Amino acid sequence: MDEDERARLAEFVASRTPALMRVAYLLTGNRSAAEDLFQSALARTIPKWGGIRHADPEGYLRVVMYREQVSWWRRLRRWRETPLNQADEPVGADPSGGSDVRLAMRAALRHLPPAQRAVVVLRYYEDLPEARVAELLGCSVGTVRSRTHRAVTRLRELLPETELLEVRR
Amino acid sequence: MTDSFEHLIRSTLTDLAEEAPIVHDQLSRAERRVRNRRRATVTMGALGTLAAIVIATPLALAGTGSDQPRPAAPNPAVEPSLPVPTPSGPAVGPGPVAPSPSGEPGPPGVPGRSSVPGPPGVPGPPGVPGRPWPTVEPSPSGPVAVPGAPGGAPGAPGVPSPVSPAVEPSPSGPPGVPSRVS
Repeated sequence: MDEDERARLAEFVASRTPALMRVAYLLTGNRSAAEDLFQSALARTIPKWGGIRHADPEGYLRVVMYREQVSWWRRLRRWRETPLNQADEPVGADPSGGSDVRLAMRAALRHLPPAQRAVVVLRYYEDLPEARVAELLGCSVGTVRSRTHRAVTRLRELLPETELLEVRR
Repeated sequence: MTDSFEHLIRSTLTDLAEEAPIVHDQLSRAERRVRNRRRATVTMGALGTLAAIVIATPLALAGTGSDQPRPAAPNPAVEPSLPVPTPSGPAVGPGPVAPSPSGEPGPPGVPGRSSVPGPPGVPGPPGVPGRPWPTVEPSPSGPVAVPGAPGGAPGAPGVPSPVSPAVEPSPSGPPGVPSRVS
């Protein structure tokens, strides 16, 4: 890769890193894991830069991130890690209204498996249709639907009983 | 309703996205990962090739040297022969077949063939006593009996040699018993 190409790559990375890091953070739910996921996807994209720089490098990088998140190898690496933060502690009542529900939803999102979490992010954050999500993740539309249904059901089960009746009905 | 729950999911994800960490200089770290991955790929490829060579070389050498027997193959030239029950030398005759001592002078038998006493016939001539290698003469009545020929009346018993076979004849014993199948 010559200097010109490397300059273009550096410009692309500098301009798209914040948006891609947001997606990585939503996919992983952890700052260090999000940074690791983004670097890993970028490391897989750099050797292909010559072929994708005129097409859609950001879309390629996003697809690599999505598939890397749900891959078996990354899941094996993730099992060896021991989180030390207290992010999963139970959420108490919040008199300010609404914050406890969102905190409970954050905690519930952390309990989702990587595949279901990726589907939730693509469907409800990226606002992508099911067919596009299936294309990005490399699976069928039925798989996307079933994963979405299971994820929403799991989130409903994980939310606390109080203060959520108007949401769960 | 479901819409309110989905709205809660969207708003929570939007809030989470705002908390994403701000990172810098990701390109140099990613390039370092690329170099490490390439180095690991080359190393693993070399190790795989080396392992294949180490495994395949003995097999190839064993397959090419087909004229020579294997080092652990049994050599028939030095293989010990089976013990012969004859105490006085190499036996060509019946071996462990017990001769009928006082019956018809049956045939000495052929190794591998059942020594069945033949029908009564002409008695054979007296035997020659005291031969040093009576291995083919299990009967004391002499070597005249033709193998397979009908036996006759017992002839005059010869004097057993001191180096006679282990089976000693009893001249006045009961009639002969058909020899066992060797």
